[in-house]
Amino acid sequence: MADVALLALVALPVLSGLVLWARGDRQGPVLAVGALVSLALTLGVAVLAAVEQPEASLRWGAGITLRVEVADLARAPIVLVAFVGLAVVAYALGYGEERGRARRVGLRVAVVGTMELLLLAGDLLTLLMAWELVGLLSWGLIAHHWRGGAPAQAGQAFLATRVGDLGLFLAAGAAFAATGTFDLAALSEADGGLLTVVAVGILLAAAAKSAQVPFSPWLFSAMAGPTPASALLHSATMVAAGAYLLARLQPALDGVGWFGPLTIGIGLVTALAGGLVAVVQPEAKKLLAASTSAHYGLMFVAVGAGYPAVAIAHLVAHGLFKALLFISAGVAIDASGTTGLAGMRLGRRLPTVAGLTAVGTLALAAAPPLGGAWTKEQVVAAGTHAAPWVGGLVVAAGALSAFYAARFQLVAYGRGPQGRDGSPDTRVGGLRTATGAMAVLAGAGVLLGLVWTPWGEERVRQITASSLPPTEAWEVPASLVALVLAVYAAVLLDRSDRLAVSSPAVGWARVGRWFDLALIVEVAVVDPALALARGAARFDDRVVDAGVRVVTAGGTGLSRLLARGDDRVVDAGVRGAARLGVWTAGILDRVGEVSFDGVVEGVARMTGAAGRDGRRLQTGQTHQYYAGLAVGFVVLVLVTLAWR
Amino acid sequence: MLTAAILIPALAAAALVLGRSWSESATRIIAVAASAMPLALLVGMWIRYDTGGPQPFQLVEETDWIPTLGVGWRLGVDGISLALALLAALVFVVAITYPVELRGRHRQYRAWFLFLEAVSLGVFLSIDLLLFYVFFDLSLVGMYFLIGRWGHGEARAAALKFFLYTLAGSLVMLLGFLALYLQTDPLTFDMRVLIAEQPLAGRGATAGLALLAILVGLAVKTPLVPVHTWLPPAHVNAPGPASAVLAGVLLKMGTFGMIRIPLSMMRDTFETYAPVLVGVALLSIIYGALVALGQTDLKRRIAYTSINHMGYAVLGIAVAGSLGSGEEAGRRLALTGATVEMVAHGLITGALFLVAGSFWTRTQDYDMGHYGGLAGQAPRLTGAATLAAFASLGLPGLAGFVAEFQIFVGTFSVYPWVAAAALLGVLITAALFLQMVQKLFFGDLPDRLRGFVDLGRREALALVPLLALVVIIGIWPTWLLDLLTPTSEAIVSAFGAR
Repeated sequence: MADVALLALVALPVLSGLVLWARGDRQGPVLAVGALVSLALTLGVAVLAAVEQPEASLRWGAGITLRVEVADLARAPIVLVAFVGLAVVAYALGYGEERGRARRVGLRVAVVGTMELLLLAGDLLTLLMAWELVGLLSWGLIAHHWRGGAPAQAGQAFLATRVGDLGLFLAAGAAFAATGTFDLAALSEADGGLLTVVAVGILLAAAAKSAQVPFSPWLFSAMAGPTPASALLHSATMVAAGAYLLARLQPALDGVGWFGPLTIGIGLVTALAGGLVAVVQPEAKKLLAASTSAHYGLMFVAVGAGYPAVAIAHLVAHGLFKALLFISAGVAIDASGTTGLAGMRLGRRLPTVAGLTAVGTLALAAAPPLGGAWTKEQVVAAGTHAAPWVGGLVVAAGALSAFYAARFQLVAYGRGPQGRDGSPDTRVGGLRTATGAMAVLAGAGVLLGLVWTPWGEERVRQITASSLPPTEAWEVPASLVALVLAVYAAVLLDRSDRLAVSSPAVGWARVGRWFDLALIVEVAVVDPALALARGAARFDDRVVDAGVRVVTAGGTGLSRLLARGDDRVVDAGVRGAARLGVWTAGILDRVGEVSFDGVVEGVARMTGAAGRDGRRLQTGQTHQYYAGLAVGFVVLVLVTLAWR
Repeated sequence: MLTAAILIPALAAAALVLGRSWSESATRIIAVAASAMPLALLVGMWIRYDTGGPQPFQLVEETDWIPTLGVGWRLGVDGISLALALLAALVFVVAITYPVELRGRHRQYRAWFLFLEAVSLGVFLSIDLLLFYVFFDLSLVGMYFLIGRWGHGEARAAALKFFLYTLAGSLVMLLGFLALYLQTDPLTFDMRVLIAEQPLAGRGATAGLALLAILVGLAVKTPLVPVHTWLPPAHVNAPGPASAVLAGVLLKMGTFGMIRIPLSMMRDTFETYAPVLVGVALLSIIYGALVALGQTDLKRRIAYTSINHMGYAVLGIAVAGSLGSGEEAGRRLALTGATVEMVAHGLITGALFLVAGSFWTRTQDYDMGHYGGLAGQAPRLTGAATLAAFASLGLPGLAGFVAEFQIFVGTFSVYPWVAAAALLGVLITAALFLQMVQKLFFGDLPDRLRGFVDLGRREALALVPLLALVVIIGIWPTWLLDLLTPTSEAIVSAFGAR
């Protein structure tokens, strides 16, 4: 029974997603019913599986077994994925043009299933398969508007994360070499150099998937996709995979000395840099994308500090509010007709949406008593446990987060001048479903605030079966001061109308484009690689093949030379032999040996004929040479045989 | 039964040559039926084959041919050759079904195809070294005529280059075969004896030279860098189905030969020189991928990815023969992966070349820059090509991944740095296939292509079995691995038993 639950958790969304995708736009209301029912069922199964924690395995080939299980740290994420998936798909059912909607929705349902598989994976092979399938479906989600530039952007995103995927290959190879299996559980037996390789591979894979520095810009490329796709990819699938994997494997990888410090380093740099990007980024969705990198950076810090449960808790809180905010951004873009924050200020036109958005931005800013604030405080505590300055920097990253959260709220949903642009009845596609989805997510986010109570904290410990970091007295007050200061700064800037668009200085624009990292990668890696490829192609045509042509030409030349030699020397010899024969015959004739006459003349005639035939061999036709060569070869073989 | 699998297409080919009055549809039916029968027979053999049974060679059929020289009509299978023969038979059925411009010579076209099927099956099924050699060389003849007479562009030059290049390679290989043969007593070409006796074991330089000769011949056929330059022109100018057979069946003869002959019959020597072969394979992997990325011609790009993929297969084989008795699990994985790669590459690249052929029949143009936006115009073609492209770049859930993952993990256990470097090839292949899909199917549709027709029924029918197997092997490879693994295990463990 329990095995069936695991199977259903993956197969139900994947298969129904593929069916919806394949049936296309003709299916009418079946689409909505099919998508929502299958995801609701998935959610139910996920809850069941999180409670029962079953496991199952499948023999793949000789000596290789695929394993799925519900690890302690996976219990909350498997429910989160199904829940967020349900909310986002509900929004997607009313979003965008009708043409192609069924396919987009189908892909989104399917990506929930592959993400569940990723969370359930009990061995590196299963993990790798799910990992790449999530990447593939994300490519499909981003590239869906294939007539424009989206596929190129999707390709960039796919390749950036594929660099990380190679890390998983590496980790799988090293794990097999060390333990003879791909089991995640067996990783703790590995040690020494091979464990180091595993750690390098896992960290690379996780950093790429979770859009950490230097891979962060792929999330900007991914913004070419439709908004529901972003909502799903950033909150609970795809990007979440990296942080989840690190948290899951933290106990095994902690044996590598540099693993903790490096993970903290990557996370901190991304949290601070991503925060700065979001502070100045002029577009709504890209602001949120940069903040995604930054918050996964916080999860990296928690893992590096040795508290994977904290990372998972923040993953859940972040998933809830980030999905909510992306839907909100999608509504704002639809309502204002622009992706830039500058033209929005929809507070008067869309008051309900603005209110629901506030729940998300408050959580993003880590304002108590929301759940997001508690999980962020836990990250501060974990960081402080590693080193006080780490905790301090996490507080600073939190301040940035509070600032851009306020920026998003004030600029996108601030109360603009009355009656500004358009009447309140402006239609936003699927506003009702969007509001509903946001309300559900906001409700869950508020409910998550229970973790502030001792009871809630105990539940976190129990569900993750892990410990939480000790807290210091200064942490919460410091965070609160930082929060208030950051929000106040945002309000001040907003009053002077400088919040939506940062100062036009070139430097800030570059920061907003993720420090031009994508450009740097393009100039430093992509362009040289393509140039190298073109060069290699020319080299292959001109040089490598030229070798063959030289040999061929040489062969032809040689055969010509031989032919001439044949004419001059061999043939001359034959002619000479003929002449010799005639001459001898003449002598003999002169001597008068009549009885030999006939014989000699015959020999002479035969020799002459042989000479003429010998010349005829010299035809200049390749196939005849070839035949000759083959005959020669057979002779050679026979000689070899005889020689033996 | 094995004999019948070879004789039926051969006889049908002869009949087609003689049957002057037959119509186009009649020859089509005959050709399809005659090519499908070996497939059916081989499936029967597969059912009778016992994966737990003796290795190597079951279902042996044997008749004396030239007893004084120790040559016999000897056929038999192990897991690897059975899998490859099945693949070959399937690819032939598909290729023969695939519609192509026949230039009024349908009888000859189909006769050559059937002839080629017979000799290709002969290569995989024969367990006599000379018989293997004869079939190996005859396959060149069939392909020469298919490219030269039904190709396009500079077909004749390409066909001649293909023929001479690979013939030169196989003549060198024959010298190596003879060196093996001459050490047997009594003289025999029987592979079972050659495998059991390891005739050149402990013969130093002689054995090294023989190995070199054999490997050079097989490397040309595979092909490995730097003896690969016959491949792109042959593919570009060949008709689609011939390309599919060239990539799907003929290239496999090179890697299959490596497993059957040097890896099985010259273990000692192979082990000594395995690192060199590893190096050449790595070069092929990275160089092939890089050059493929630099191509603007659709078919040349696919052709160069073949060099990359066959590089993986050779890497697996070379790793399997390294290290004597150490890391047995990893080496077995590498060899199993190499054989899966052969099957997967046959299916995937076969499908890709058929798709490329469909492009040619519609526009006579392989330049990727001239295409775009076909996703709306030809969704079936887009789906088939995209699936094949993702399979080729090694996406999990599709056959290529099953192969490359095992090769990679196996290689890592013996040569970690080589494995890490080979990953670069995985990345480049991903880039080049994504770019290909993007250029062909996405973006704006050029006006010239408004009349571009989607895959027809016969084209789709031919592609479906190939792609279906790609998906099935990707999702549930157990049945294939269970067929291959006992054989690769036997080959690898023989290294330890000295």
